[in-house]
Amino acid sequence: MNWNLLGHEWAVEMLRGKLQRSQPGHAYLITGPEGVGKRTLGLRLGAALNCLTPVVPGEPCFTCRNCRLIERMQHPDLSVVQAEEIGGTLKVDQVRELQRQLSLAPYEAAYRVALLLRFEEAHPSAANALLKMLEEPPARVIFILTAENAERLLETIVSRCEVLRLRPLPLALAMQGLQERWGIPPEQATLLAHLANGRIGYAVRLHQDGDFLDRRERWLDDLMRLLPANRVERFSYAESQSRDRAALRLLFGIWLTFWRDVLLVSGGAAVPLTNVDREAQVRLLAERLSLKEARQMVSRIEEALFALDGNANTRLVLEVFLLDLPVLQALPI
Amino acid sequence: MAQALYRRWRPQRWENVIGQDHIIQTLRNAVAADRVAHAYLFAGPRGTGKTTTARLLAKAVNCLEPDLANRPCDACENCLAVNQGRFLDMIEIDAASNTSVDDVRDLRDKINFSPNVGRFKVYIIDEVHMLSPAAFNALLKTLEEPPAHAIFILATTEVHKIPATVLSRCQRHEFRRIPHMEIVEHLQRMSAGEGLEVEDAALQLIARQATGSLRDAISLLDQLASANEQVSLERARQVLGTVTSQAVVDLVDYLIHKDTAAGLELIHRTLDSGSDPRQFARQIVDYLRSLLLSKLGNANQVDATAEIRERMAKHAQAIETSHLLNMIRAFNQAGNEMRSGWQPALPLEMAFVEVMEQSAGSGEEERKLPDAKPTRPTRRAVVKIPMEESPPTGVPEIETTVESRSVNPVDQESRETYEKIQQSWDPAIIKQVDGINKETAGLLRSTKLLGMRRGVLIIGFYGQILKQKMEAGNHLEITEKILTEFIGRTVPVRCLALNDRQSEIPADVDLDGMVAAALRDLGGKIVDVH
Repeated sequence: MNWNLLGHEWAVEMLRGKLQRSQPGHAYLITGPEGVGKRTLGLRLGAALNCLTPVVPGEPCFTCRNCRLIERMQHPDLSVVQAEEIGGTLKVDQVRELQRQLSLAPYEAAYRVALLLRFEEAHPSAANALLKMLEEPPARVIFILTAENAERLLETIVSRCEVLRLRPLPLALAMQGLQERWGIPPEQATLLAHLANGRIGYAVRLHQDGDFLDRRERWLDDLMRLLPANRVERFSYAESQSRDRAALRLLFGIWLTFWRDVLLVSGGAAVPLTNVDREAQVRLLAERLSLKEARQMVSRIEEALFALDGNANTRLVLEVFLLDLPVLQALPI
Repeated sequence: MAQALYRRWRPQRWENVIGQDHIIQTLRNAVAADRVAHAYLFAGPRGTGKTTTARLLAKAVNCLEPDLANRPCDACENCLAVNQGRFLDMIEIDAASNTSVDDVRDLRDKINFSPNVGRFKVYIIDEVHMLSPAAFNALLKTLEEPPAHAIFILATTEVHKIPATVLSRCQRHEFRRIPHMEIVEHLQRMSAGEGLEVEDAALQLIARQATGSLRDAISLLDQLASANEQVSLERARQVLGTVTSQAVVDLVDYLIHKDTAAGLELIHRTLDSGSDPRQFARQIVDYLRSLLLSKLGNANQVDATAEIRERMAKHAQAIETSHLLNMIRAFNQAGNEMRSGWQPALPLEMAFVEVMEQSAGSGEEERKLPDAKPTRPTRRAVVKIPMEESPPTGVPEIETTVESRSVNPVDQESRETYEKIQQSWDPAIIKQVDGINKETAGLLRSTKLLGMRRGVLIIGFYGQILKQKMEAGNHLEITEKILTEFIGRTVPVRCLALNDRQSEIPADVDLDGMVAAALRDLGGKIVDVH
């Protein structure tokens, strides 16, 4: 049954084993890249802990009141704590409020579940304030933390938790899931699975963001157009794209995947590409550029992304990158 | 709900504390002699036993056992109360949640009341590094001279955040990381006690992963444990996302044989089968570090099987030390790369390709240098002069393109002379100089032979002062005299002052030329050679 999840069987199996022997750990840390299914797994664990009519022990029914409320994050014994916005800060007051709640017995369920999302965004004092309770919580309290990776948390936090490192799904499984569960046509599903690198949640988000694929198409075309272009054209492009920082980040992200493909092909590796639909162009570029040049382009984009994170001038970043972009004769597209 | 293993196995007696004998012995002696101090500070990395020891000490000073040396007995009324967390005179404060000066004032107000049941009131202030500066200062007077019935135990992982005034009032004990073998032994005892079946190799992996923190190790074991199944290496590996050592060895193999395609495919394959890229990078660094150790003649520090050792010896021979250092640097960076959301494999791939480039670069140079030397064409070097030293005309950067005069064809004789001098410079020549003037010899010992240009021997000093000293007295004459005796003809000597940048003047740059002048006197840097 696998808790109605796609993939991550080993994690589910391990957790289910603990539940069947009614020995759940008191603190879990679920890590993995964005959109890989950390929160979903956390919620399913909460449901499995509190399900009123489990199918078999450790296998929630997803139909009883507790299961439904937890899935919707509305259960009174489920406390969800997270920074107000993505990229924000989880504040120490939120942790103190949580501690107050957790010191009360569960309201109706068997366990109180504290779900702390994106815990790498926690302020250091918030993380420290959690330490003592995380080590020895009150009876019938389960902590579930999620974070992008454990290194960004305090060592002392990680050492108190059982760490589940979620990894992207194999591409075939992700493609199949996208088609069957979300009814995405095969061709698009293949592309989305590759673009999201097997992170199913991320793929779905891309799918729901209607014009993402169009924008990606446009950006890659732009890149092709810029390769033979002269400086004047490149600079006018930089000007046109520099208004929106978030979009620019996304643009560099797309270009990064593209140049990585070039890098892999020019290294001669038989590895599936991210931009499967652009394979012809990737191969063409790989032929014209050396491995070193491809590697340098990837480095440049990484630098650009780093600069954007550091609040650098968007137009300047794009201009610098376009200056470094090799000038090639027009590619037969 | 069962308690986590690390809570169930928290030591309740001194004997059960692992790997901190230096502290436990001191504390036991203090308890036995009834000379317990009034303030302790326990510092050390996570999971090494700070809170545990603090609780043990609290238990020991309040134990009712008549034999002092046998405290805590873990059987008397007070000991049991401490174990169950209902002992009124052990006050455990979470300093990370009670950080403010008001919390400390509250503590100060209450500390004067005598203990309820025990002999001592023990205040354990955990995570004490989170107290605010005002709170620390409010604590100072009480910490220095608490009432006779009070004992403070402060515990922290970040001792550098504790003010010096607090440090000096406490007896400080540093907890150490627990050695690998002791963790393994403890885990073996525990799994026997819990009735768990664990493969020995899995225990080794867990212990290695814990990097000296016992709680990390026990957490992991707890996570992997399941009643009906053996904990196997395979399972541990899957949960940890580590790769087989074979994969690491193969990757290094590809690096040595410069097989880019195979290397990139290997990275893809390993990550696809569920390994964590960071773990992989770290394991590579680990392996390369072992190579470095065995290269430097410390092979016995490496913990590996005989088979891997053999592979290692082969690898160690195939890679140069400087290249090895570069590889370690590149993969270490890949392991620490934080932003990898877009492409988890990318940092590893980049490190791999970069290392490949470096090895290709160095290889070419090695091949080029010897045969290129005699007939080197005129080359132009572009020297960039840093901004702060450029004339204040507002030009940010001057690019001077200068013709470096091609190196004079080094005549056979002068090269031979130089080699001869080089071979016997230290100690033979310096010793002779030493016989005449000790100061000269001393100066010469701190030099570096730079080369021979047009029959003139050039020596470099680390600093202007030494150079001036050398030129001041009759030191040059003495040196030249000895050299003349040694070589059989006059060898003039010229001194140069080196600083770290100037030591980078490449061998093929004329030391009198404009390039050298730009490098040496203007602080320039060679950025490109045409």
